[in-house]
Amino acid sequence: MTPQTRRRVEFILDNLVWFMLIFVLAVFSAFIPNYFQPAIFANIIEASSVLGVMSIGLALVILAGQMDLSVESVAALAAMGVGILFCSAGIGLGIKLTPAWLAVPASLLAALGIGAIIGLFNGFLIVKAKMNAFIITLAAYIWVRGLVVAISGGRSAQDLDPAIRFFGIQRILGLPLTAWIAILCFVAFSFMMMKTPFGRHLKMIGGNETATHRAGIRVSRNLMIAFVLAGATAGLAGWLLTVRTSGATANLGVGMLFNAFAAVVIGGVSLKGGVGSLPGVYAGVLLLSSINTAINLMGLPANVTQVIHGLLVLAAVMLDTFKQTIRRSLA
Amino acid sequence: MDQPLLVLDNIRKSYGAIEALKGVSFSVNKGEVIALLGDNGAGKSTLVKIIAGGQEPTSGRMLFEGEEYRAKSPAEGKAAGIETVYQDLSLCTNVDVVANFFMGREITRSFFGIPILDEKAMEAAVSKAMANAGTRIPSLRTNVENLSGGQRQAIELNRFVHWGGKLVLLDEPFAALGVEQTRRGLETIRQVASQGIGVIIITHIMQQAFQVADRIVVIRQGVVAGDVRTQDTNPDDVIRMITGESLAVSGTAARN
Repeated sequence: MTPQTRRRVEFILDNLVWFMLIFVLAVFSAFIPNYFQPAIFANIIEASSVLGVMSIGLALVILAGQMDLSVESVAALAAMGVGILFCSAGIGLGIKLTPAWLAVPASLLAALGIGAIIGLFNGFLIVKAKMNAFIITLAAYIWVRGLVVAISGGRSAQDLDPAIRFFGIQRILGLPLTAWIAILCFVAFSFMMMKTPFGRHLKMIGGNETATHRAGIRVSRNLMIAFVLAGATAGLAGWLLTVRTSGATANLGVGMLFNAFAAVVIGGVSLKGGVGSLPGVYAGVLLLSSINTAINLMGLPANVTQVIHGLLVLAAVMLDTFKQTIRRSLA
Repeated sequence: MDQPLLVLDNIRKSYGAIEALKGVSFSVNKGEVIALLGDNGAGKSTLVKIIAGGQEPTSGRMLFEGEEYRAKSPAEGKAAGIETVYQDLSLCTNVDVVANFFMGREITRSFFGIPILDEKAMEAAVSKAMANAGTRIPSLRTNVENLSGGQRQAIELNRFVHWGGKLVLLDEPFAALGVEQTRRGLETIRQVASQGIGVIIITHIMQQAFQVADRIVVIRQGVVAGDVRTQDTNPDDVIRMITGESLAVSGTAARN
């Protein structure tokens, strides 16, 4: 095989999920009436913003060879925190700041802070106390959701401060600001993973922790930061969720964890750690969202969505194995 | 050769009542390849750990480049320029050759205060280091998982030399390699030594020892049972030193 063909095959393998996305969009556009229009595509991007931001944090820890099952509950807690502070109806306290726009940085800070603190707590137990990441974050998945139900008393908050709500309404180039925030996050975190030493180190830790430790990389510190970032991005996802729904309920975002997992795996991130990239994860999120939209447009019962998502994850894992076989034959 | 790179002087190590090393003395010169041979339990591993850091001798002293040397941890040994290379423990196969070469020591440019990887500078440095050592890797941008065992070993050794390593210890470096890979690995070791690096290679395979080593040091029951130039001996004599069937092959053994 010539080096040129080889490079071409590797390029296709690395970006397979993008080709799948284009293929799926083309098929849907061709066969589903009304699918091919800008508003539908804008809707696909808009609907993937919350899941997208949550998937970034999850992908970071998985790339580093760890696991975080708590992202969904952390997002819910952050959403409830923002809801209680800045909603004026239901259990909302309706805090007003002057000038009014101060509510935006204040609510963001609250959401990111809540996420970061739980991430720090998880990270401490996993990295410093050397406990199992799966169990610790599963516990957090449960207790953080419990906390959401407890502090809300099972009730909801409505009527979000208009200054914050603005981000869900104002559009640039047809997309609401919330979608732009998600895109910006993907750009920033992809840059971090590809171009900075920290990102490089995280990926190498996921590949061979012993080697990085022996090379003098501060493994514990890097992993702690990864967990804090996962918590903070989950917090941001919660903030976006509040903006989208203009409030918060106790069961907000239930089930998103598995969609996030699906997006990460479909996006080409190996659960073994060290393999994958964030742009791929974004393509995975968009792919899920395109399929949801197609199901809606075709008028299929929503229950089918879950079956298709499950099958997609299976397909993604099989595809991953298949890609590895091809890569090995290339070597 | 002005002064030896590393001198071991009467190194002893006991674990409670058990004496693993009973006074080991030998030296390694710059650019010299030493094959350390010995039966299982002869004390080779203990000796390697004492040299590279990780264990401290009970008594005796070491001189490294003429200075008193004692490493409490592998990190201290590494800082001095002595390192053990274990294949599976020192490469991240999920990233490319350049990333592995610069693991933890990346060249960066500052971009509004954010450190950004300078891939071009790093790639240039790696290709220069590889060229100097005469190692050929198809592409420095391939992930290490796509490379053969021999190529991986070459990367590790070149990296070691590039970052100022002076003495490298290799514990059974060819255990998992095929014939052709082993031949290339032995060539790499010769290339590394020709750059003035001291190499201690632990092996069970007599043929490899004779192919690559300048000197063969045999450890038996915690003492040096033989310290001979490769060209002055033959496999049968070395086996006798290892099993202890016949003494008086070398002066060291006779003294003990």
